[in-house]
Amino acid sequence: MILIEAGERTDQGFEAKVHFAAQLSARGHPAVIDDTTLPETLERGGRYEAAPYLRDLTGARIDRLIVVAAEAVAEPVLIRLRQIDFAPEAPVTVIGRFPERQSRISAQSKIAYATGREPQVIDLAALAPAALPGSTGLSAAAPLPDQAAGQVPNLILLLTADALAEPGTLATLLALDHLPSLRLHVVLPGRARDHLKALPFAPARILGLADLAPAALAQLADVAVVAGEGAPSDRLAAIATDVIAGGRTLIDCTMDAAFAGTNAPVLRGPQHLAALPNYLSHTVLPNRAEIARRVAESSWAGLLRIETLETMIGLTAPVAPEPAGTGRILFLPTNGNGLGHARRAMLVVREMPKEREIAFAAFPSCIPMLSAAGYDCLPLVSKSRVHGVEHANDLVNFMRLRRALREGDRLVFDGGYVFDSIHRTILEKRLEATWIRRGLWQAGQITPSALHREGTFAQVIVPEEAFPELNTDLSFGRHIRKVGPIVGDRPAHDAATTRAKLAERLGREFRELVVTMLGGGVAADRTAQMQLLSALCERRKGCLHLTLIWPGSTVPPALYGWKNTLVCQTRNAPDYAAAADLVVTAAGYNSFHEVLYHRLPAIFVPQMAGFMDDQDRRARAASDRGLAVTVAAEELLLLEREVTAFLDGGKGAELRSALAAVDLPKCGNKAAADLVAAEDWR
Amino acid sequence: MRTPLRIAYVLDPRFPGGTSSAVAAELKVAARFGRITVHAVEGSMFRGRTVAPALETAFDDLGIEPVWDAPVISADLVILHNPAFLKFERQFGARIFCRDLIAVTHENFERPGGVEGFDAAKCLALIDRATLALRKHVAPVSAANRRTLAGWFARQGAPAGWQVLPDDWFNICAFETLPPTATPADRRGRHSRAGFEKFPSLEIMDRCFPAHAGANVILGADGLIAQRLARPHWTLLPFGAKSVEEYFGMIDFMVYFTSPAWRESFGRVLAEAMAAGKVVISDPATAESFGGGVIGAAPDEVDAIVARHVAEPKLYRAQVARGQAAMARFSAEAFAAMFGAVADRAGGRAAA
Repeated sequence: MILIEAGERTDQGFEAKVHFAAQLSARGHPAVIDDTTLPETLERGGRYEAAPYLRDLTGARIDRLIVVAAEAVAEPVLIRLRQIDFAPEAPVTVIGRFPERQSRISAQSKIAYATGREPQVIDLAALAPAALPGSTGLSAAAPLPDQAAGQVPNLILLLTADALAEPGTLATLLALDHLPSLRLHVVLPGRARDHLKALPFAPARILGLADLAPAALAQLADVAVVAGEGAPSDRLAAIATDVIAGGRTLIDCTMDAAFAGTNAPVLRGPQHLAALPNYLSHTVLPNRAEIARRVAESSWAGLLRIETLETMIGLTAPVAPEPAGTGRILFLPTNGNGLGHARRAMLVVREMPKEREIAFAAFPSCIPMLSAAGYDCLPLVSKSRVHGVEHANDLVNFMRLRRALREGDRLVFDGGYVFDSIHRTILEKRLEATWIRRGLWQAGQITPSALHREGTFAQVIVPEEAFPELNTDLSFGRHIRKVGPIVGDRPAHDAATTRAKLAERLGREFRELVVTMLGGGVAADRTAQMQLLSALCERRKGCLHLTLIWPGSTVPPALYGWKNTLVCQTRNAPDYAAAADLVVTAAGYNSFHEVLYHRLPAIFVPQMAGFMDDQDRRARAASDRGLAVTVAAEELLLLEREVTAFLDGGKGAELRSALAAVDLPKCGNKAAADLVAAEDWR
Repeated sequence: MRTPLRIAYVLDPRFPGGTSSAVAAELKVAARFGRITVHAVEGSMFRGRTVAPALETAFDDLGIEPVWDAPVISADLVILHNPAFLKFERQFGARIFCRDLIAVTHENFERPGGVEGFDAAKCLALIDRATLALRKHVAPVSAANRRTLAGWFARQGAPAGWQVLPDDWFNICAFETLPPTATPADRRGRHSRAGFEKFPSLEIMDRCFPAHAGANVILGADGLIAQRLARPHWTLLPFGAKSVEEYFGMIDFMVYFTSPAWRESFGRVLAEAMAAGKVVISDPATAESFGGGVIGAAPDEVDAIVARHVAEPKLYRAQVARGQAAMARFSAEAFAAMFGAVADRAGGRAAA
């Protein structure tokens, strides 16, 4: 275990050690960071970046210590080093850009006193005297992988916050965003990023400077542009250094030529961003190969490769970098308010060619269903109020996804909000990713900030709604692939068989069957409706009322007191629903379309919440066509009337007839599976 | 009548700890040999600190008003204490004109293992550039300190124009001498400034200050306190939390080991303990400066040494006597003899 420490307990020091730990880790070395040094004020992005390397050192034996950014060594660092259990022969290395001999001697002495062993000192000022301003001098972890031939090159535009305030910047960003010859990623400091995301018109791909590790940002870049005013930060310099070291094109558009003023192989671009689209189109892109050749041939004295440091430190030959993935496809359905995403993902997977290696990553509520269906499942952690920070679960999920996936694997996400864990994993592991995203959103939910991570995905599969007015185009482009509604199969057994089996299992005869699927109370409390339905069914002789919930869900205990009502945890809800005289259900995507495509007489009680799809609009689209009945949650009297109409007034039969006659779009299960199974997602 | 020798002291009077006390005692001796001026230089090394109390008292006693940051220092003999105070400076702010310049090296030029202790080349170069003198000397404070100079000269090259003074410019140890206890007990302690260089590893500390000892008093334990160690058998006191007299009243054995990466250049704290009538145990290299006055041992041997001296109070008393006898070498009179020879040479040259 190699402990990476920094000379001072500052944000800058912490960033330096995370950067170096990441570089060593990418080379196969077991680099760790003492978790007690995590700054409390570290912003969210920094926590994701540090998480893979943080370790509780209690009882851990450290085999090697490397102190980076050691230009100054502070007392709290020394106190902590005294507490750590180093292996007897553990070597110590001190790395810094020492401005003078005495600072090098001081750093060496202090570390020697604290650790009781003489450190090796590496002075970056001597090794790489002409590093980019702001750079710690620690550089590219490894040569960056080549961009696949034929792909549109990625343009990383690194802007300072003040550049965004310049009039005309936004217009230029939008112009760049629509250049077909480049794929723009705008990178900004956190607040500026949030501001840009909130605008009604913004580029498709926006990242915070801390949203990705410098190396991950650099490897994303085919062309990187730095623009704005002021001295570059260490982070910016680290990214720029990595870009150059990777043989990519770096263009300096800063006002004072911060990078181009050195002898680094950097192009001097226009200071005014308005000129950038033409500069890129007519000067840079046609000459990329020649630029790359010259960058590769340059003997820039500022460049210090990690391999050089590795040799100097005496680290043994690096373990082969992480092997490439096998092309496995990992489906990651979000848990939402039920199991809908997971069920939809399963329906797609079922249509995939059998030879494809497929696995799931899923939240606890979905795992039993997926496991019962025979799928390997990586467990994810759900959000909880007991976690210390709001995104603690997502940090764990990031770690798990990061370990499970490798470059060359693929990810299919089914859900509404792209979590940081997913976004980072896709970018850091250079995964091809597909987003399965239903089209129906509530008014006001369609904002750029809801979609700003769409650009991370190679394709977006939109399973359409059955009725055209429900299909909303949220974004446009060739990457949007629309398919018909994804719907579960009709049950294998006919209704009579299911009812007979049910009667036999329950040991009771019934004349009519009412099935209620109003959820487990996560998205909305439906106690009153379920009690009302139970009371209605109680009065009806020969009536069996099944309240269906997913295994693990709960319902109000009072429901268990009814004689005609039976609470049933099941994964075969569609089978029972198909055998029912009446289905009372929420109008989630899956249950709504199963009602329609399985031609079931149903009353929809929509569940509405700010974070959900527009169930009310969906339900009314069916009831307006005479294919179902919609009853709002508060309309209990209407609910009673409609149930009676279904069971005694022949409304059920009327709806069955109407449903039998309606022409619905072709299901999209196979089409979605074909898109996922395709070799080229772009 | 011979003109009194003009002696100028150049120092940063904010230097903490025992060195200031040693220089204070030295000023009183030096005053016998000529007219003293003190040039106080403000280096960035001790920024934020005030003048050491011992020096302030000496200035008052001798009626010396230190001259702060004088642009020119002129004397027959200039004694510059601790050139390491220049290690963070870009230049030496004054010009020195003298016949003899002596730079007293309170810090070791090398740490154990031959590692450079500080940027001595820069410090000497800064002084050299600012000085017009007939002779320039570096004066080690002990034999051990002298060896680090020799090692540094061998590794880095001897700086041109500098000679090593043949006499050790030792610390005057004018402590009150106290008799040893008649009934020594296993009461151990150590005192020092709180720097990490002053402390060995925790493992060695545990061996030196075990739970079975009657007392383990550690004065200057700021770093250990910050580590939040669970050592209920240790009495951890921050630097300055108790007077040295109170502290010595709590112990019978001074057990003093430092970080293996550092070594005392003189070891004033050990002399202080010997004067207080304590048996002192330290590593052999540090013990060497005090002849047999300090018992040189490895940490593993400490328990046995303590046990033997507790069991045999006679042995304890004999060891304290040896220590206090060894301190005669560091008396004001011994220093006066050494200084007198130096002053004579300088004075003779001045008269000539």
